[in-house]
Amino acid sequence: MLVFAASDKGGTGRSVTSANLAYQRALNGDHVAYVDFDFGSPTAAAVFDVPDAVRGTRERGLHSYLEGRATEPAVIDVWRRTENPVLRAWPNQSGRLVLFPGDAGGGEFATDEEALERCVDLLLRLNAEFDVIMVDLSAGRSYAVDMVLAATAHPRMRHVRSRWLVFHRWTRQHVIAASGLVHDEHGILDSGVARGHDGDALRGSIRFVRAAVPDPDSALWSRVSPAQAAWMQSTDEALRRLAAEYAIGDSVVLGVVPLEPILQWREQMITEEDVLATQIANKETLKALEEIARKLTDDTCWGRP
Amino acid sequence: MPPAASAPAAALLCGEVRTHLLPVHQALDIRTAAQFLGLRADERVLLSERPNLYARSPDTLTGVDCPLPTADGARTRAVGTVAARAALTEGRVLQSSAHVTLPAAGPDRRRPWGEYLVRPGVAEPVGKLPPDAVADGVLGGGRPGDLDLGAIADGLLTRLLRHPLIDHRPPLRSRPTRLRWAALPAAPDEEPSLEFTLAEDHLRTVRLRVPEGTPAAEVAGLCDDLALHDWLLTTVVRLFDGIRPDTPAVLAALRPAVDHLLHLWMPRARVTGDLAPLWDELETRPGFTRQWETLVRRIRDQLALHAIPSPHREAELTP
Ligand SMILES: Nc1ncnc2c1ncn2[C@@H]1O[C@H](COP(=O)(O)OP(=O)(O)OP(=O)(O)O)[C@@H](O)[C@H]1O
Ligand SMILES: [Mg+2]
Repeated sequence: MLVFAASDKGGTGRSVTSANLAYQRALNGDHVAYVDFDFGSPTAAAVFDVPDAVRGTRERGLHSYLEGRATEPAVIDVWRRTENPVLRAWPNQSGRLVLFPGDAGGGEFATDEEALERCVDLLLRLNAEFDVIMVDLSAGRSYAVDMVLAATAHPRMRHVRSRWLVFHRWTRQHVIAASGLVHDEHGILDSGVARGHDGDALRGSIRFVRAAVPDPDSALWSRVSPAQAAWMQSTDEALRRLAAEYAIGDSVVLGVVPLEPILQWREQMITEEDVLATQIANKETLKALEEIARKLTDDTCWGRP
Repeated sequence: MPPAASAPAAALLCGEVRTHLLPVHQALDIRTAAQFLGLRADERVLLSERPNLYARSPDTLTGVDCPLPTADGARTRAVGTVAARAALTEGRVLQSSAHVTLPAAGPDRRRPWGEYLVRPGVAEPVGKLPPDAVADGVLGGGRPGDLDLGAIADGLLTRLLRHPLIDHRPPLRSRPTRLRWAALPAAPDEEPSLEFTLAEDHLRTVRLRVPEGTPAAEVAGLCDDLALHDWLLTTVVRLFDGIRPDTPAVLAALRPAVDHLLHLWMPRARVTGDLAPLWDELETRPGFTRQWETLVRRIRDQLALHAIPSPHREAELTP
């Protein structure tokens, strides 16, 4: 199964959350590939803590591969190469977790027919090898988004299942932007249909993830004044109404990741260790990530709502 | 192809094999396999139905003029052609492989292309070849820009996977393997030998000593066969990864192996003459067939266990 991680704005939590979802799936025994198609700022390596690829690789990154300068893209085995001690001691029954890094100093680039064919080649090969392929796409209506819309509509890909996660933060601007990325003219749905996708099927394969959402009831805010608490409550409700109005309401939300102090300080994996042993992370964060990871392949959560 | 009369003795043969599950819902029959592997209009696909279904494409040639990988960093350039071909076993396992023959020495300057083309699959060193350093270099992987047999094999694979006959519905997920090999001529009083190593990341290396004058295609045939059986072992072992034994999930995970892989084990089916005894070494250590039989027994046991409904479970189902 291909899972495309998209967002309209930058800095929404797309990379960090999707890397955590990949990690959760691998812990549960799936073989997982994380593909860094964020050509502008490949950062996945930092989240997985694989220092030799932190700024993309020097050669043979995905960019070089798609442009035909490298026959095969570089691959990094996360369990073996990570410097995160918890990840290094990966449990026995977990599946493989590998990262296909972007190029150092890459940038957005226009894709031609041959790059598209190579993209299809890659996705098909990964699909034959991995249970879940998480693809991090550059923010906005980027070339990366266009390329994978074209790739998934390609006749060679007709038997490959794919799903979309659209990440956004929990503010007015972010809600409107996320909706626009999917529903506006030239949005994912429009461009998808123009590329040959069935509109209903594509719509049914898109879900939203609200990231870094402050929960007014959380202990984090237990010390705020009654006036602040009331304001947070009513703003939260107003945002829910706004989201529903913009067609990204609860029925199409796959999950909500709470605001997590650790992640505000550092882009990283949230592990069970962080919650149970050192207790530096909130258990709600881990639960939310586990739940979204599970729902990725739970068919009852997908389709037309 | 006419053998080139003037060919100097080979100082090193080397190659790389990629082994994949063919990503199709139904294994190709012999006729479709011939269609699939017909890479060249002027040459036929080799087909054989015994002892198992096997089809092999004609060789394709890639012109090369590049440095050879060397373990010690010495720079030796080679010019000529690399031969690549694809083979399909039981319409289910696809292998693409590239190989090249390197003579001990070549002229100090590059010759006109036509002179290289009359000797397909041969690349001449410019000057003298350091065979041991290049053998190590090939097995260890070169630097960017060096002769890359894996890339040539992979290019052929990519081309084949774009074929319209391929529906990209593999019956199980599996990981491809790559096997690099290098064969040096055995000294007159030396027995042929083979050293098989599991390197990192699904890479295998094979270092051989073969009787002087053994054609590269013959060594490539042996290495294809090795790669195929190593892939089968690796793939089936991996089916047990991540599933808890004695649960019904075992059935779903192992069933495809029974349907698509277990009948493929047939070592030495196409290994000829002088090289056949080299397989015997692998049968004693690490004991390929012994490992395989143990695996097959394990699978059959698990399937038998779950095919018989437990009376306890049935009792639970009745309200
Ligand atoms: N649940 C969360 N709580 C708090 N901070 C978060 C949360 N999720 C992500 N962050 C932080 O938000 C910042 C942006 O996240 P991330 O880099 O994943 O965004 P992105 O959408 O991939 O951005 P870009 O478009 O720049 O690639 C990071 O510092 C990250 O650690
Ligand atoms: Mg990012």
